Parts: sequence; C-alpha cells; structure tokens
Amino acid sequence: MMQRIRKTRAGRKLLANRMALGAMLIIGVYLAAAIFVMLGGISPSFCNQPVGPPNIPGFFAEAPAEKRLVNAENTLAVVDRALAKSTPESQQASLDEIQVGLRKLEKISLDDFELKLEKAYAIYDDLSASPDLENDESGLALLADLESEVESLTATPTFSQQVMETIYLSLGTDRQGRSIFIRAVFSIKVAVQIGVVTAMISVAIGSVLGALAGFFGGWVDHAVIWLYSTFSSIPNLVLLVVLAYVFSSINVEIFGKAIGQTLIPVYVAFCCTFWIGPCRVIRGETLKIKELEYVQASTTAGFSPVYTLLRHVLPNTIHLMLINFSLLLIGAIKSEVILSFLNLGVQAGAGASWGIMIRDSRSEVLNSFFWQIGAATTLMFIFVLAFNILSDALQDAFDPKHV
Amino acid sequence: MTLLQVKNLVKHFPVRGGFLNRVVGKVQAVNNVSFGVEAGETLGVVGESGCGKSTLGKTIMRLYPPTAGQVEFDGTDISNLGRTAMLPIRRKMQMIFQDPNSSLNPRMTIAGTLGEVTRFHRVVPHSDVDAYVDELMNKVGMRPDDKTKYPHEFSGGQKQRIGIARALAVQPQFIVADEPVSALDVSIQAQVLNLMQDLKDEFQLTLMFISHDLKVVNHFCDRLIVMYLGHVVEELRCNNLTQDAKHPYTQALLGANPINDPDERRPLTVLEGDVPSPYNPPPGCPFAGRCSMVTDRCRVENPPLVQIGTDHEVACWEVAPPTEQTPVTQDAAS
Repeated sequence: MMQRIRKTRAGRKLLANRMALGAMLIIGVYLAAAIFVMLGGISPSFCNQPVGPPNIPGFFAEAPAEKRLVNAENTLAVVDRALAKSTPESQQASLDEIQVGLRKLEKISLDDFELKLEKAYAIYDDLSASPDLENDESGLALLADLESEVESLTATPTFSQQVMETIYLSLGTDRQGRSIFIRAVFSIKVAVQIGVVTAMISVAIGSVLGALAGFFGGWVDHAVIWLYSTFSSIPNLVLLVVLAYVFSSINVEIFGKAIGQTLIPVYVAFCCTFWIGPCRVIRGETLKIKELEYVQASTTAGFSPVYTLLRHVLPNTIHLMLINFSLLLIGAIKSEVILSFLNLGVQAGAGASWGIMIRDSRSEVLNSFFWQIGAATTLMFIFVLAFNILSDALQDAFDPKHV
Repeated sequence: MTLLQVKNLVKHFPVRGGFLNRVVGKVQAVNNVSFGVEAGETLGVVGESGCGKSTLGKTIMRLYPPTAGQVEFDGTDISNLGRTAMLPIRRKMQMIFQDPNSSLNPRMTIAGTLGEVTRFHRVVPHSDVDAYVDELMNKVGMRPDDKTKYPHEFSGGQKQRIGIARALAVQPQFIVADEPVSALDVSIQAQVLNLMQDLKDEFQLTLMFISHDLKVVNHFCDRLIVMYLGHVVEELRCNNLTQDAKHPYTQALLGANPINDPDERRPLTVLEGDVPSPYNPPPGCPFAGRCSMVTDRCRVENPPLVQIGTDHEVACWEVAPPTEQTPVTQDAAS
C-alpha cells in the first residue's frame, strides 16, 4: 500500500508535506476516537448521565467558593431528604439509591449518617454567616472541612473508579453535571459519522451524474445541469428546516428509533445540496478527458462507451473525488454544528454533538463558565483545520502544475 | 486492390447557440472528399493546421459519424455501421495518435493498455496475452520489462512507440497515422519514422499518413493528397514532387520547405493572408483569396478535381481547366 502511494507523484508529494502528515496524524486520532465510540466505548445515554456536581471547572481547578458551598449543600440535602423518610426501611432504600457523582454512599448505619449530617450542617450554618466567602480565610478553611465531611459520606472509591473520575472530570461538567470530556469525545463520532456518510454519498451521486453528463452530453447533460441548477437555488439551511419538520412529523421507525430522532434527516438534507459541487467539477473534468486521445483510442479499439467511461475516464477523476470528499466532509461537519445549535440537527436522543454543547453553554457563558463551549469549539476547530490542511495538501499534490 | 475507398465524404460540425441551443451554423471541416488507398501503399495527407486532415482521419476511423458520403473498407460501407457491427472492421483498421502525452491512459500500465485491446479482440488466447505483449514491446523496440511501468515514466518517443504497439496489437491491415511524429524531437522523429517503415514492411500494412511536413511525406509516402479548407486540391505521386506539383497551394507548401543546399536558389513564394474560416467559407475556390493566379472565375465557382496525368489530379481552373474528355471525379461543392 505504502509503496504504491510512493510510486505515484502525488503520493510522494503528499508524504513530503509535513503539514499534511501532521494533519493526517490529527485526523487519525479523531478517527480512532470515533471508532472507539462507535464500538460502544461511550453510549449515547451515558453522555446524558450526570457524573458529578454541575459546572465544576476542568483541569481539576477549584470552583469558586460560592459554587463549592452550593454543591456541598446539595449533596447534604439529598441525604437529608432520604433520612426524612418515615420508616427505617424506606430510609435505607433511599440511601442505597443515592449516588454522588460516580460514588455510592458509604455502608454505615442510619444513626451514623444522622451524626455526620448534623456535624456537616453545623459547619454549613457557620459558613452561611460569612458575607464574603471568597476572601475569608477562616471561612475557606471551614469550607474545606465541610467538603471533607461531605466526602466522608461516600464510599472510598476503588482505583478504577478514581481513574474514571479523573477522566470524566478532566474538562469539568456542564449544568446538569454531565462530563464535558465524554460529551465532546462522543461528538467526534457524530461529526465524523455525518461528515463521512454525507461526503461519501454526495461525492458518489455527484461523480456518477457529473461523469454521465460530461461524457454523454446531449439531453443527459441538459437534464443534469437542470437538476443541479434547481437544487443549488434552494438554500441549504432552509431545505434542512423543511426536511427536519417533515421527518419529525412522519411516524416511521428505523432501528427502533423514530426517524426524526436519528441522523437520517441530516443526511438527506445535506446530500440533496452537497452533491452539486463534485458534480460540477467531475462534469468539467470529464468534458476535458473525453476529448483526450486515450479515450479516442478506446473508441477506435471498439470498446463500449460505458466501458470507456468506467475504465478510462472515471479513474482519472479520482483526485477530484478525493479533494471534494475532504472539502465536503468539513462542510458537513460545520453545517451539522450550526443545525444542532438551532435544534434542527442532531437530537438529544442521539447523544451529544458540538452544536448541542454550544447551545447548552449559552447560559453558562453568562456565568463565566467557558469549559463546555471551549471544549466543543476547540475540538471542532482542530478537526476542521486539520482537514483543511489535508485538502489543501491533496490539491497541491494532485495539481500537475504545482511543483 | 483498393483497400479503402472514400466517396464524397462530408463532415460538418454543428455550431449551437442563441435561444434554446439551436443550430446556428456549421463548421465545414471536410467537404466532398473522395480518394482511394491501394492495399500496401502509403498515402500522405498534407495541409496546414485546420484544413481538416485530422477530421478526415477520424471520420474514416468512425470517431465522428460522417455527415454525408461513404467510407468503404475492403468493400464494406462502414459509414453507417453500429458499434458492434464495426468490431470486425476495428480489428483491421487502427489509428496512431498525434500527442504521445495524451494518447496513453496515465492510470494504466503499459501491459494494461496493450493487454486490454489484445484481450478484447481475442487476438491470442488469454493465457498467451503476457507473451504477446512482450512480443509487441520487442517489435516496437522497447524492453518487455518496461511493460509494468506507467506512461509518465517514458519519454515522448517511447510513448509514441507504445501508441504504435497498441495500434498493432490487433494485427490490422490499415492504419491511420495522425501526425505521429509532429510532437516529437527531430532526432526522435527519424527513429519513429524508420520504425513505422520497418513495421509496414514486416506486416504489409497500408498506411494513411497525416502530416503537415512535406519533407516527411515525401520521404515516407507513395502518394499524396493535399488538402485546403476541407477540400482536396491536388492528388499526386510522390516520386518527383517539386516538378510534378501543379496546384499553386502545393507549390507554395513546397516553397516553404527549406532546401539543404545553400547554393540552390528558387523563386520565393510567400502566401499572403490566412486560411478562411471553415465556419463561413467564401464562395468559389477556397484558395482564391491567397492565390497568385486568381481569376474572376475562381471567386465564383469551385474547380473540380481534374485528372492531368497518371495518378495526378488537380482542382484548379488555371492549371487544369476541365474539358469534355477529362473525367471529372469531383463535383463543384454546392
């Protein structure tokens, strides 16, 4: 494989381009992440499951003191509510259900819980009196005490639990306590899936129609030109809005999900407009190639037009298909983010998406919490940038005039 | 025996434009051309760029459907045959193309290009295709090991040899060579021409050699037709071109050729003006606008081809005015 690539001029140029190699490495990492998610590494429901207190910052930074106090109080309130149940059995049952982040409560007697809770609330009452917690040293010391009290309510985590917690909380949590890291990584799979599927289908449709139009000319050409002029006059987003509504109103189930909850409306809407680009390019190239002498030689040898098209014309447009594929892939990912932001693309049931994350982070940004929007946009930025560099490099590599 | 007979062949290309893509005109690339090619001979076709020589060759090869007229190959009229009916004819007539850089598919190895044709026409049993390709490579003077390479790994001359090998792969009787050496260096031209001469002798090929280089044609061909703006203006044997050529256009072409001997002098004939547009050709003789001997009649009426000697026909009112006795082989173009 590698040797075949090295044998071609374009392949050598691509491998000599360091930017392209770097971009390919990054894309490889993203693809690996996408495949990991696809193989069941992260389920869509897990994306939507809280793993810790809400809005804790990433890189294990300390949350503002106010926030820490509220989080500690929330945990205490949950335990308090469980202990307020009428019978000891129901109290125990409620306590068993409580989970603080990933941790279960410690297995101690109800009386011990009462004692711990009382102690914690005593510290909490002291703290609440403090007017300016952030700059109050004794207050901060008390807060640390309170947090250790709250932590002592929960069972000591096992080593694997600790590792998981480290990973899940590495980029913080969102307003519902869901792991930003997990959601951002899951979104890679959604983005890659939408990008690859739409780019492949669009390039396939565009290449076939473009090649037929260019090669056979006449009414086929007129029909294809009419078709793509018509489709390109429909604004992409408007078509998508229409399709999103249409799909959400029809009751068809695919793989046990309502069709509106899957990615199918997104695929259909993107493919409807995305095939136009490759179609134009491939048609133009086919027009050029079909006048070349090796195509005429194929005719004088007696080969059928369809054979000539498949054997001599299409293989010489592969570079354009590749370039268009990488361009459309970026286009699809960017459009998907915009649509999900507008609540028209990926639905919550399908897991997470960068667009959904950016939408969710609107209220957080007002509270100076940038971790969610930061994670989503950074991952998208790197991915799109890497693909842009790659498609540029592809274009350079395949351009015979570029040295 | 006449292998190829072309009768009143016309090829016009429609020009579309205006509202609803109507046909608004036509480019008259080949106009009422008639000639024959004897088995075993080499016929040269000369004329300047845009005179329709390549179109003539490609129409004979049925790369373009003819607008009117017949092409008879080996007694069969091939001007209206469908693709499958053409297949047996395709095995007998092949084409060598002009530009070696675009005549080979860049994504196919040489073995692929040569083997494809061989397999398609079942020239040899499938198991022998590899050996046959080796043989072809040897025939055109290339190493059989090179057949696994791609076209870009070869020089122009080598690519042209491969183009020749592809034409020979089906073991044809007749080959249209469309300016096979005009894209090559002069040193390589001679090699390729000698190769073609050798192959012609070896396989008893009949050649139609399209060129704009009178020297090459004079060296290589038995007979010559001179074309101007889609018309045949003179048809003659190549034995003694400088003396025999009668048509003022042929003479002008000969005059444009440099002479090897610095002491030899000849009157300089320089053609004024340019070839008229085939889209809108003038009435009368197509050459009238640039001819030194032009008369009023030339501007009105197109001269027919008139026989003035053995294998010598000229279309010119001044050089060969038609009489009742002389057979007229071509009607004045309408």
